[in-house]
Amino acid sequence: MIPRFIDWIWHIRGSLALAPGQSGEDAFNRLDPLFRQTGTSHERTHDTLTFSKKDQAAQDKMSVFDSGVMTIERDATGSVLRYHLVSRALLFCFLAPILFLGFAQLTVLVGNLQKPSTEAAEKAKKDKKKDQVLPQHWIDKALGAPAPEKPQKDEKDSKDKKGGKDKKKEDDDKPSPTPAYVFAGIFATLYVAGRILEDRLIKRLFRKRLLGSAA
Amino acid sequence: MDGVRVGKRVIGSQAPVTVGWENTPRVQGGPVKQFVFTWFQPAALFALVAFWYYAPNSIAKASTAIGIGIGFKMLLLALEWVNPRYDSWRLTWKELVADLFYVGLGYTVIRMASNYVGDDAMIEAIQHSFNWDKFLWFMALPLIVQAFLISFIFDFGQYWMHRGMHNFYPLWLTHAPHHYITQLNINKGAVGNPVELFLIGLGVGGFFDFLPRAALLAGTLGLTVSIYQHINVRFNTPRWWRFLFNTTEHHSVHHSQDYEATRSNYSGTWIIIDRMFGTCVDGEAELLGMEGGRRMSIGETMVYPFTEGWKTIKQKFGRSAESAAVPAE
Repeated sequence: MIPRFIDWIWHIRGSLALAPGQSGEDAFNRLDPLFRQTGTSHERTHDTLTFSKKDQAAQDKMSVFDSGVMTIERDATGSVLRYHLVSRALLFCFLAPILFLGFAQLTVLVGNLQKPSTEAAEKAKKDKKKDQVLPQHWIDKALGAPAPEKPQKDEKDSKDKKGGKDKKKEDDDKPSPTPAYVFAGIFATLYVAGRILEDRLIKRLFRKRLLGSAA
Repeated sequence: MDGVRVGKRVIGSQAPVTVGWENTPRVQGGPVKQFVFTWFQPAALFALVAFWYYAPNSIAKASTAIGIGIGFKMLLLALEWVNPRYDSWRLTWKELVADLFYVGLGYTVIRMASNYVGDDAMIEAIQHSFNWDKFLWFMALPLIVQAFLISFIFDFGQYWMHRGMHNFYPLWLTHAPHHYITQLNINKGAVGNPVELFLIGLGVGGFFDFLPRAALLAGTLGLTVSIYQHINVRFNTPRWWRFLFNTTEHHSVHHSQDYEATRSNYSGTWIIIDRMFGTCVDGEAELLGMEGGRRMSIGETMVYPFTEGWKTIKQKFGRSAESAAVPAE
């Protein structure tokens, strides 16, 4: 059993007060269409509904959840629907930044390993390119397109800027871990947004079904 | 379901497919909305082509292209929100996360792997072993011609690779996961098994030497034309565009739940290649996917070609071993 202080990451719990006089039977009847979707199986007893989903379609209104339990509890003030929903998508999104940070580390590692072997090849390539003059078709010249830049100019420029040492060019040849860091950030942001958004959306969906006209 | 005869085939006998442009809906709403969603596609194409044609050398570089690409995709996501083609295809949080995961793989591990075993590495090896030089004459052509040829030759190769995937079982195993998507959104092009993403990216461009600006112009055709393959936006796309270029309508037919419909519209950018080879079906579909719309999880997408391949091998060879072992009664 995973303790609650960890499982909130991908478990969503909540409750909704039923309308005065609304029975558990009626509440489950109103929610019933949500569980009649492709890939969804559900079981109902008097006051409990359990469901599980497999390969649910993107169009399923509860597609973000994979299983859950819903119970009707009664107390002096009235009936309450309590739900406990489990989402593997939330867990996946929570863990995705770790995966992409791993990819970033892998990129750095591969970059360090390949450096000595590729340096010689790159140098040979550059030497070959130095004599090359880039042509421009007369149509492009007439239409005013900028003249193509010679590759050696780039190298000279960057060398000048770095005081003769082509440090920038050297770094460019290495695979960059930046995209992996960016995606780690994107998933961390998406997780926070999704944990808040999906919690609200499901509550809104249940409320709409319970209080709105019976579907 | 009766379906519609297109050439020798009957399209839409298993799942609904709309055939013919006269039957596809047009943009609904006021004059401003009509104007924007009629002219957006050609305006973006010509504006970006002009930008890359005239941009100074200091701006015309790959990093600018990446920036524009990201910005343009975000704009298209906003358009999906404003004017969806189908409400049932609206982007959810889960779909966005899943799509971006595949996009992320493309920018990181797949890109890294392609550096070592991709087309560039292979072409360099071929050129080296045959002592070939690049086709330098290519660079002396007008920029637009170079860009068109880069785009068309790549798409021609992609057409046959894609058609091969739909006709040759081992290749199909890599492509099948992409056909389990049940809706089209801007990043859905990245959804699929990494082996497929690697295969579809193979091209012969490395054999040619072209001006960097021509490559950027060719890239812009990808950004402003083939990107619409997977988009949930209703456009009044001009007739000439639909004749020349692939559209989201064409591609939704390709992703339909109807088997015959999936065997059409293979090209990425130039639908005219499909017209040349008789595989084009003009129309659209809403119900997409395989197995009646079963959504494939990320985990299954990653292993599907291998697990399915293994299952098939076991079935093929296991059956003969089994039948040999059945005792005679």
